[in-house]
Amino acid sequence: MTNPFSTEAAGLQGRHNAETIFKLSGLTAIVCAIGFLVFMVGSIAWTGSGALRESHVQLSIDLGPEKVDPSNVEAASYQTIVRDALKERFPEVTNRRDRRKLYGLLSPDAALELEQYVLDNPSVVGGVADIWLLASDDLDIYLKGDVKTELDESRRKFSDLEIGLADSLVQEGQTRRQFNTRFFTNGDSREPELAGILSSLIGSFFSLLVCFVISFPMGVCAAIYLEEFAKKNRVSEFIEVNINNLAAVPSIVFGLLGLAIFLNFFGLPRSSPLVGGMVLALMTLPTIIIASRAALRAVPPSIREAALGIGASKIQTTFHHVAPLALPGMLTGAIVGMARALGETAPLLMIGMVAFIADVPKGILDSATALPVQIFLWADAPQRAFEEKTSAAIIVLLLFLVLMNLLAVLLRRKFERRF
Amino acid sequence: MLNNSVESEKKMAEVETALNSDGPIIQAKDVSVFYGEKQALFDVNLDFEKNQVTSLIGPSGCGKSTFLRCINRMNDLVDIARVKGEIIIANQDIYAKDVDVVALRAHVGMVFQKPNPFPKSIYDNVAYGPRIHKTVSTKDEMDYVVERSLKRAGLWDEVSDRLDQPGNGLSGGQQQRLCIARAIAIEPQVVLMDEPCSALDPIATAVVEELIDELRERFTIIIVTHSMQQAARVSQKTAFFHLGNLVEHGDTDQIFTNPQDDRTENYITGRIG
Repeated sequence: MTNPFSTEAAGLQGRHNAETIFKLSGLTAIVCAIGFLVFMVGSIAWTGSGALRESHVQLSIDLGPEKVDPSNVEAASYQTIVRDALKERFPEVTNRRDRRKLYGLLSPDAALELEQYVLDNPSVVGGVADIWLLASDDLDIYLKGDVKTELDESRRKFSDLEIGLADSLVQEGQTRRQFNTRFFTNGDSREPELAGILSSLIGSFFSLLVCFVISFPMGVCAAIYLEEFAKKNRVSEFIEVNINNLAAVPSIVFGLLGLAIFLNFFGLPRSSPLVGGMVLALMTLPTIIIASRAALRAVPPSIREAALGIGASKIQTTFHHVAPLALPGMLTGAIVGMARALGETAPLLMIGMVAFIADVPKGILDSATALPVQIFLWADAPQRAFEEKTSAAIIVLLLFLVLMNLLAVLLRRKFERRF
Repeated sequence: MLNNSVESEKKMAEVETALNSDGPIIQAKDVSVFYGEKQALFDVNLDFEKNQVTSLIGPSGCGKSTFLRCINRMNDLVDIARVKGEIIIANQDIYAKDVDVVALRAHVGMVFQKPNPFPKSIYDNVAYGPRIHKTVSTKDEMDYVVERSLKRAGLWDEVSDRLDQPGNGLSGGQQQRLCIARAIAIEPQVVLMDEPCSALDPIATAVVEELIDELRERFTIIIVTHSMQQAARVSQKTAFFHLGNLVEHGDTDQIFTNPQDDRTENYITGRIG
């Protein structure tokens, strides 16, 4: 007797095959997606990790009385002192052009750093001291092993002479690498070894602050009005369709709008986080309205009926019961919108936040740039060393995005109610 | 503004006296309801006596809930709903232009099909009505009102030690009694109940039914129910609706023992509906 429930029953094989094929293709898709993600994040992290380390060179520096006047330390020419120290370390370099290459081993900021060091440690004045000074970006790259020495000299920036000098320093143990705090405490700079993300980070922070302050109340009020008060008719339908459309408008269009209205018509300060935040608010507004409306719709009608049934007015019902229940959803939507705004570059280009800003902005009216724009600027910069800075800045940006999304998830978990 | 408030106070006093006088407390005259093009209720004429429980029965979609929701104008919430005719409470047509639904609903409370306590504490659930209508001014008074309402709803003994706990944490039957306490905390004259026991188990149902009988002393109660046994148990008057028409109404005993209309008889004997 054959088993009527056997897997060989007529027609079953085909169905099982279809299921297996579908499962396999789904699994492949997920594996591919995860693979791409890991590859992308991994390569960025690999490149970016270099920017977190900087190289220093140790020189014995003569701070004798003929170089630095002990009674007037600030008057000394530290540039000359540093150069003299280099010349002394490498007396074999005599040619003018080679000398310039020698000086180029150190960052232009080394002299300033030395001055600061001397001011902080007055005891070193009058003698010879071994002091660590910041290396230039080219030396830094060489020390990290990223210079292709096998290439012909004419095809690389770091010449044979420089390689020789660097190797000599390494042999004597006069180089070291340490954690790069400058990257987090400096503003932008033309010198890669000095460039940092602080100014753009603060710029982004101010922009997002303005964006949130404008778009959250406005978006929530609009959503509450549309969802709870507005009559459902042609006009409200038209508005709804248009809000949904606005959410899909390319962000650069909002930048153009901001340029035309905020800058050209109202004459607000160019490149400022105020205008940047306003433009981002325009862009975020539809997202917040849509999320807030969804959150309001998720509040069960029975709550509204309960309040209205005991004689609460419409506005009491909304603000005592419905809005508080929808608030976590609204906040989540707002944070997701903010996260999108944080990563936005295009509209900020239109309103001039793409300028080279080395100073950390002190308020929303100062000129500033934003983190994604900084990434764009660095990616565009000619120096090799900016490559790793770009990646490091991307990591910071991704980190903030992950944090914001995490916050949204946590908020939702914490305040979510089941009805 | 001052004049206005004096006038409205005068009016309130008028309403109070009218509500306390004898005779039918609610009169529905030729009430028709339309949902868009569709007519859901056809010229209903029905009076409700004071301090009595009236059951509205009938098969699903017969318009009994629609009619109930006309009495405190909850149908206003439905954009496409349109009400024709008059419902007169205390000599005042509640569909007249100068009627404020907020004031109306303070006099005509409602309990819904599914228990719907606010996601707040038990105390705040009950205190919400008095708070928004400003009927109590001090904390002590509020405590008293909350206690009295919960006692009347037969819930006090079960929750007196955890008034600060969320109302959603109670069992289904307790939640429904909390909703009743919330509705009666503002001392309405009429309490509308829309299938208040349909989400409850038999034991909780029995408790709520007992409660309805007790509440009759203070309030006029109109209850929509699907259960004919429940109608027979709790109500003095019964009205039978069918396909949007009020078919028959009268004393509950008479409706259930000696119905005048074939449709009523068919319904209560289980042949339709």
